[in-house]
Parts: sequence; structure tokens; C-alpha cells
Amino acid sequence: MVLTPDFATRPVISFQHVWKRYPTGTEALRDINLVVPEGDFVFLVGPSGAGKSTMVRLLIREEKPTKGKIFVEGIELGRMKRRQLPFYRRKVGLVFQDFKLLPNLTVYENVAFALRVHGEPDSLISNRVAEALDTVGLAGKELTYPANLSGGEQQRVAIARALVHAPRMIIADEPTGNLDPATAWEIMQLFLRINARGATVVMATHNREIVDLLRRRVIAIDAGQIARDDRSGRYHEDVSKPQVRAQ
Amino acid sequence: MFRNLKFALNSAWQSFWRNLAVSLAAVVSITLILILAGVNLLVGHAFSQVLDGFKDKVSEMSINVADDTPLQSVYAFRDQLAADPRVASVKFVTKAEALSQFEQDPNNYALAQQIDGNPLDAKLDVRVRDLTDVSAIDAIARQWPGVDPINPTNYQGDFVNRMLQLSSWLGIAGIGLMAILVVVSVVIVMNTIRTAVYHRRKEIEVMKLVGATEWFVRGPFVIEGVMTGLIAAAIALSLLVLSYPPAVARFSADISFIPLSYDPSFISSLARDLLVGGALLGALGSYIGVRRFVRL
Repeated sequence: MVLTPDFATRPVISFQHVWKRYPTGTEALRDINLVVPEGDFVFLVGPSGAGKSTMVRLLIREEKPTKGKIFVEGIELGRMKRRQLPFYRRKVGLVFQDFKLLPNLTVYENVAFALRVHGEPDSLISNRVAEALDTVGLAGKELTYPANLSGGEQQRVAIARALVHAPRMIIADEPTGNLDPATAWEIMQLFLRINARGATVVMATHNREIVDLLRRRVIAIDAGQIARDDRSGRYHEDVSKPQVRAQ
Repeated sequence: MFRNLKFALNSAWQSFWRNLAVSLAAVVSITLILILAGVNLLVGHAFSQVLDGFKDKVSEMSINVADDTPLQSVYAFRDQLAADPRVASVKFVTKAEALSQFEQDPNNYALAQQIDGNPLDAKLDVRVRDLTDVSAIDAIARQWPGVDPINPTNYQGDFVNRMLQLSSWLGIAGIGLMAILVVVSVVIVMNTIRTAVYHRRKEIEVMKLVGATEWFVRGPFVIEGVMTGLIAAAIALSLLVLSYPPAVARFSADISFIPLSYDPSFISSLARDLLVGGALLGALGSYIGVRRFVRL
């Protein structure tokens, strides 16, 4: 079932005239304005260097905007104090192209890691990890090390780790970038299920087939600006049909 | 809190063994530094021991009494000295007692055989409370009419003053050496831990991304630093404790005029200093070493 985002619901993410210039002088983002409502599924697309990853880095507060404001669940990220940052990141699930798994930890330990840093008790960790591994279809692989898993399985572990603390928002940066098409599709099914449960998903991707197939909201970034924002978009602009704009 | 501590302890322990080569490099570096620090402490202690011995001896002075001085005058002067707050004790030694003391000293055996009669003065043996007051008491004694005008007093004041000066200079040098050792060791530990942290930067990145606080990330490294420091301190202490008695014995045999002796009671304070010092060095080095990587 494809859920249509409810734009009447409260915004989870809001970019207000956001500019980002790196110390090298590169202007990565220019006057970005966008609103992501709760439960939305957003693809950020565009060529390499367009500014997608910068948007992700701003969202997880690895970077601060040079100008403008970013609000996530009412919190202005640019003014957030350093000591508040861990607590913000605990509300978000993060998935990356390179999985970012710890090679010396087993599948169970990798997923449990996200709860350990929160200081959760062992009993809760054990239940939540079992649930998360079950969701991503890796039950029975708890004691396996990442090196013994396929790329798709490793990404499933990363997704389980992103899910295990039940975040309301998942941010994914090229999560299918290292995967073959069939595996990429399986991974996308997982994201759709997570979104169907109510979590907002923001995903930067180059995967044209998936974007075109799923027909979700597409924000195209080009040279640091929003080139288009379609409610049910494709990877490239479809000039044959009029588009329904998100805003 | 307890769960985080348990996690930090487990993580520190695992990391110590997982990065054994780096851990051992840190242990060796801190051990060498703590051995130097320990030798510095032992030498300082030995010197103060020697100095204390000298101080005991030289805080005593003898006031020689002229043969024709009436006994009452001697007693009066003795009481005057005893009432002086700078004087710890005064003892009157008669001529006969002085001769007996002289004869009892084996070094004087040959000389005692040749003595005819008693050429020695009666004397007042005075012990002063503070070495710096010896010269003042000496001045009072010289003004007393009953003192032997040819050989009024005996004491080793100048020698003591020089020793005190030397001691204060050695103290300053010791503190300077310790300060250098502390800086050097912090830099070494910091760089060693930074190497360990560099190997684990991916883990730290993941920790930060999943919402670990700075202290959650830093904790295991600081505990690992403390562990490294304590292991190094234990090794350094063992080596120092083993080599302390033979070193003292060898020194005493070679340089017998300096009364150096083995002091087992100093071992406990040396152990405390080295263990606390090692733990603090390890913790501080780790704290600084990990800072750049941990900052959110």
C-alpha cells in the first residue's frame, strides 16, 4: 500500500532560507526552503555534488547552516547546544551507503550498540534487538560478524540499528548505493514498511529505478538549489505530464 | 550510570587487549617515566635522610668550661640556657665524664694511652631546637665569663648551612625534573592514546551518530588510560623495590662517609605516589588524546 503524505499534519522538518558555504568557499546550498510533514517519504535526488549530502549532514547536525534556520520537530538545529546533540540524534535513525557497521561486533552487538549508548538495560536491549532483526529478516544471524554477510544483509543490520530505538524519523544517505538492483529493491521494501508504521523517511539517492517505481515525493537538488519538489515525482522531470508540486 | 560504567570498563578492557601493541607501547613509555620519577623520589628521600642525620648531629654544640669556673656559676649558666626557648636540652658533663667518654671511643684508644692526667674541659652539651639558632647560642656562650677562652665552643654550623642550601637547591631541581617528566609523559601518553583512538575512529563516529554523549565515548579511553598508568606504575614500582636495597648497599659500600640507609617505610609512600601518578598521567593523556575525535 502506498501512503500519500498528509500535508495537513505538522511539519517534522522545515528548512527556512538555508545557505551552506564550506570554509573552502564552496557554496553547497543556496536559499533552500522546504517543509516535510510527519509521515512523509521524501527522495532527495540530483547529480553528485548538487548538495544532497550536505542536506543530510545538516539534518543530522554534522554541519550547521551558514545562513537560515533548520527546524526538526520544533528544535532549531543551528542553535542546538553540543550537549543536546546526542539526545537529538537518539530521535533519528541513520542509514548510510557504507553501512557504518563495527566489524569487530556481531550482528546482535551492532544493533544493540545503538541502545547501549542510551544506557538501556540488557533485558530491554535483548527484546528490542530481536524485534528489529526480525523486522529486517535477519533473525538467526545474531552471532554472525559483518564480514560474513552480503552487502544487502549488512545494510539490513544497519537498518535494524536505525530502527531499534523506534525513531520517528529515518535519514538515509544513498542506502542502496552499494547494492545490486534486486537487493536494493528488498531494502526499499523495508523503508516502505518503516514509513507505513508512521516514521518520516528522508532519503538521498541516485537510484533512478526505485524513485521512478515508488512515485513518492521527490525533491531535486541542482547546484545547491531546489530545482523541483514533486509530490509524486520521478527521478528526472517528466515533461510530458503536468506535475503536482508539493508546495 | 552503573550500566554506562560497566560498558566503559568492558570496552576499555577489550580495547586494551585488542590493541595490545599500542597498549604495550604506552605501558613501556609510562613505566620508563615512572622509573625516572621514582628514582628522583628515592634520591630525594635518601638525601633528606642523610641530611636529617647530619642535622641531628650538628644541632648539638659543646660549651667548654674553663677549669677555674665555680660549679655554681656553671649551674646558673646551665639553667639560663635551659630556660631559653631555642634550647632543647642542656647537659653538664664533668671533666671526669668527658675523659671517660673520650676513652670509650675506640678511635681515641692510642691517644688515650698516652694522656697523663685530664687535659679535657668540663662542658655543657647543648642541643638546639632549630639549626639556625646554633650561632646565636654560640654568641651567648662566648660572652659567659666561665667559658674556656682558648676553645670556647665546638659545633659544625657552616657545614650545616651549606647542606641546607644544597638541600633546597636539590629540592627545586627535583621539582623541576618532576615537572618535565609530567609534561613529557602526558605528551607520550596523549600520542599513544591518539594512535589507539585513530584505529577506533570509525567506532567513535558510529557512537556519535547513534547518540552517544561525549563522556560515553571518552569514558572507555580515560579508563583505558588509567589502566595503562596503573599497570606501568606497578611494573615501575616492582623494579624500584627490587633494586632499592642492593643500590643502597652498593652505595654505602662505595661511599661510606655518607650514611645512606635502606628505609622500608618509604616504599608505601613511593607506591602511593607512583600508582596515583600513573593513574593520573594515563587519565590526563587519554582525556587530551581523545578530545579531538570525540568532539561532537
